[in-house]
Amino acid sequence: MIAAFLADLAAFREAAAAALAGAADDAALEEARVEFLGARSGRLKAVQKLLSGLAATDRPAAGRHFNEAKEAVTALFAAAQERLAGAAAPRAADALDVTLPGETVRLGHVHPITQTIRRVQEIMARLGFESVDGPEVEDQWHNFEALAIPAAHPARDPLDNFYLAVARGADPLLLRSQTSTVQIRVMEGRQPPLRIVSLGRVYRPDTADATHYPMFHQVEGLLVEPGTTMAHLKSVLRQLASSFLGGDVRVRFRPSFFPFTEPSVEFDMEWGGRWIEMGGAGMVDPAVLEAVGYDPATVSGFAFGLGVERIAARRYGVADIRDFYRNDVRFLRQF
Amino acid sequence: MIISTNWLADYVSLPTSAADLAERLMMAGLNHESTRSVGDDTAVEIEVTSNRPDCLGHIGVAREAAVLFSRPLHIPDPRPLEGDAATAARISVAIEAGDICPHYTARVIRGVRVGPSPRWLVERLATVGVASVNNVVDVTNYVMLECGQPLHAFDLARLRGGRIIVRRGRTGEAFIAINHKTYTLTDAMCVIADAEGPVALAGVMGGAGTEITEATTDVLLESAQFAPLPVRAAARGLVLSSPSSYRFERGPDPAAVDWASRRAVAMIMEIAGGRADRGVVEAGRLASSPATIELRTDRVADVLGVALPFERQRAILAGLGFVAEAVDAERSRWRAPTWRRDCSREIDLVEEIGRIEGYDSVPENEPIAARTTAETARERTARRAAEVLVAAGFCEAMTRSVVGESFEATASPWGDAAPLVCTPPLVRGADRLRRTLVPSLLEARAGNVAVGADRPDLFELARGYLARPAATDTPTPVDEPLLLAFAMEGGFFAAKGLVEAVLEQLGLAGDAGHAAVSFRPADLDLFTAGRSAEVVLCRQGQSPARVAVVGEIAAAALSRFGLKGPVVAAEIRLDRLAFAADVERTRRRPGDFPAIERDINLIVDGAVPWGDVAAAIRTAAGELLDDCRLVQVWADAERLGAGKKSFVVSLRLRSDKGTLSGEDANRMVDEVVASCGRACGAVLRA
Repeated sequence: MIAAFLADLAAFREAAAAALAGAADDAALEEARVEFLGARSGRLKAVQKLLSGLAATDRPAAGRHFNEAKEAVTALFAAAQERLAGAAAPRAADALDVTLPGETVRLGHVHPITQTIRRVQEIMARLGFESVDGPEVEDQWHNFEALAIPAAHPARDPLDNFYLAVARGADPLLLRSQTSTVQIRVMEGRQPPLRIVSLGRVYRPDTADATHYPMFHQVEGLLVEPGTTMAHLKSVLRQLASSFLGGDVRVRFRPSFFPFTEPSVEFDMEWGGRWIEMGGAGMVDPAVLEAVGYDPATVSGFAFGLGVERIAARRYGVADIRDFYRNDVRFLRQF
Repeated sequence: MIISTNWLADYVSLPTSAADLAERLMMAGLNHESTRSVGDDTAVEIEVTSNRPDCLGHIGVAREAAVLFSRPLHIPDPRPLEGDAATAARISVAIEAGDICPHYTARVIRGVRVGPSPRWLVERLATVGVASVNNVVDVTNYVMLECGQPLHAFDLARLRGGRIIVRRGRTGEAFIAINHKTYTLTDAMCVIADAEGPVALAGVMGGAGTEITEATTDVLLESAQFAPLPVRAAARGLVLSSPSSYRFERGPDPAAVDWASRRAVAMIMEIAGGRADRGVVEAGRLASSPATIELRTDRVADVLGVALPFERQRAILAGLGFVAEAVDAERSRWRAPTWRRDCSREIDLVEEIGRIEGYDSVPENEPIAARTTAETARERTARRAAEVLVAAGFCEAMTRSVVGESFEATASPWGDAAPLVCTPPLVRGADRLRRTLVPSLLEARAGNVAVGADRPDLFELARGYLARPAATDTPTPVDEPLLLAFAMEGGFFAAKGLVEAVLEQLGLAGDAGHAAVSFRPADLDLFTAGRSAEVVLCRQGQSPARVAVVGEIAAAALSRFGLKGPVVAAEIRLDRLAFAADVERTRRRPGDFPAIERDINLIVDGAVPWGDVAAAIRTAAGELLDDCRLVQVWADAERLGAGKKSFVVSLRLRSDKGTLSGEDANRMVDEVVASCGRACGAVLRA
């Protein structure tokens, strides 16, 4: 018995759906409504009457199916009504040409170098590294001596630095050649534990070409805490690389030489199946810790540095880093 | 440094391809630049860091490879046959400047036949990019490329007096080098002189007068140590760098002086014939006192984050030439080899062990403990100020910190001291550290105008550089204000509005209670007279300070950068405003009761500034003043009288306590007008 009822119900539902969907105008829709949902002699009413003929045990289940079908068809009717109402709305004579251009909103743009710096800062902040800032005109203690670069070192050659005509004490001042100077200043004023990122402009007398500019930006990280090892350095750089480039990025260390770190490494990140040089890193040289009054027997630390122009150029596909300094708004508006 | 793999095989037999070799060397610190085939040889170019002069010769690289591949290393021990005549009978050596030449040796070979080199020698030199000259000169080059010790061969017959004198150059002294160019020397350089004058620029280049030619039969072979500074002074000062100067600037193995001399004499006799005189003539002595270094076995794990068995540590150090003086499981004592003067401390040994083992074994999942950070007041100030300009449609520029003279031709808003000057210039003609960013932005604007860019409104966030009086004892050498500057098309009030918006964003609109800012007329030659202002900050307990300037750019400045007006610019001292970021502002709840609007038309003398009138209105209306808006300023001699102007002001009055009545409002307007009358001579226009 119930099987026959359900078959009738399904047939009703299918026919109603076809009729409502096919109604092309209000009159056809009304006709369909009367036929299927009409209060007096609609087909829904007819199916409902069959309910009373079912066994009492079947009635609750059958009733549920009936209500479901009724709701579905009622909803289809409402949808059809809406469809016809939309189509029938009169097209106003003064309707808008919506393909005309919208009013221009002139947006400003943050420089791509600033965006890159902020991104590194933000990632490092989540790892507990605080951003610090320091002077660009430096003395030789902060730019060289405290960084274990002695007087006879070639890095101090006048041809490799922008020395100023003024001195502090005996030594002429200079435009800093690295942001490690800020790390020295912070370490001189504070005790470990310490996690900082120093960033800003640095200056080296390179002839400007597609990959060099005499003024550029560095971001340098420094962590000094008891028990720090190269494994911490590698792990932090891997987290930085993964966040910066997206995905799980591998990091590789190649041995290198910097006066203020030992061991010193260049670090590469794997990007698009290739190893990309990202910067220099290493464990803070014990001589540097001593120069700022820390005890290398109780604390150790790591430091790393990134050339911002280089990673920005790679990230944004800029072939010539001089473009970053041309200040052409047609270029800047793309970032 | 270019390595020939055939040549390398003289010292170590490697089980691997050139590509594997290059990769392994790179992962141990000798960066790979390129690899290419040359005949049946392979040239591998590597980058040698400045601390590793030992790798500026094939033997040093072979030693690295031998350790990396655990292969034995074979180094020849040349013992040239010597004749009976004593070298010392024929020549003498004297060092007058021991500080720049600690050790000098000379040997003599007589009866050589100068001519072309044998093919194998020509080919090896060709692989590493060195052109063959003649058999004697080629040997000196070969031995330098073998062990890193530069050598020089003199034609003994042309060495006047048979004397070698090592001394400082005399300022103004002339020297004709092997390239037949004449150089003028200084006393910062070191020269080799004979009885009459300079015959070589020590460690850099030989002289034309004593060079080896086809006619040479007797050769004096120099092998010596020269200090890095005089060599660099000569190479840099005279723009005369050579493979020799490159090595002396980095400090070759002092013990190689003797080895290289013996090696070269033996090879010259073998290739060019002749006979060595007996003994070596030398001055000074071997300057080498290798360090003795203690290594705690645990230290390796403490630094690298990965433990290495002591046996492995020991094998690495021994392979690199370190000699164990005392050894137990916890600690060991090592004497560094003479060619590794970069190694004198425990940390140096740890690095050696780490780089040879390879840093791939260092774990990359070692977490650091969580710590919190927050943006500093200065960062927050800079970010929020920049956000205002970005929101207003400006692009951020980055211009050079060091500028040309014309950029600094106008006075700085931030002090009278002359700009600091750097050497060399940052780029041609730009040697002044800027005291203001505005001229740089004008130049950038002109560049944009030249390429037809649409509305190139630019801002920049950077430091200025202000010299301090010499005696000031401050933490930083010069004053470096953090500046925010912008330049745009338009008039004074367009720029003023942006300055006000920045100040408001920083919590410093008008009178913020703890601090008040006000605009005052300013006179700066960068701006058109009468069309610029300074912003002065008054804080309790502090003297008033200029925190911003704003104005229309003067015609002279515009024409300097080829710009057409109107251009307006402003510069803000963010360093002086950062304090406000830490002041917690109290926010007011908007009033619930309705406001009453009243417009008034006040007539004042033409010279009365709006600021005075606004202050009088605020004083009179007090808390009831919800808003005071200047609607219009106008002057009309016929309707207002000569020299008079009218301010049309819209007042919005509101009380927090209840609804104001019309009478309340009228009374307040009367008080406002009276107050303006007392303070500014204003009268209400009927």
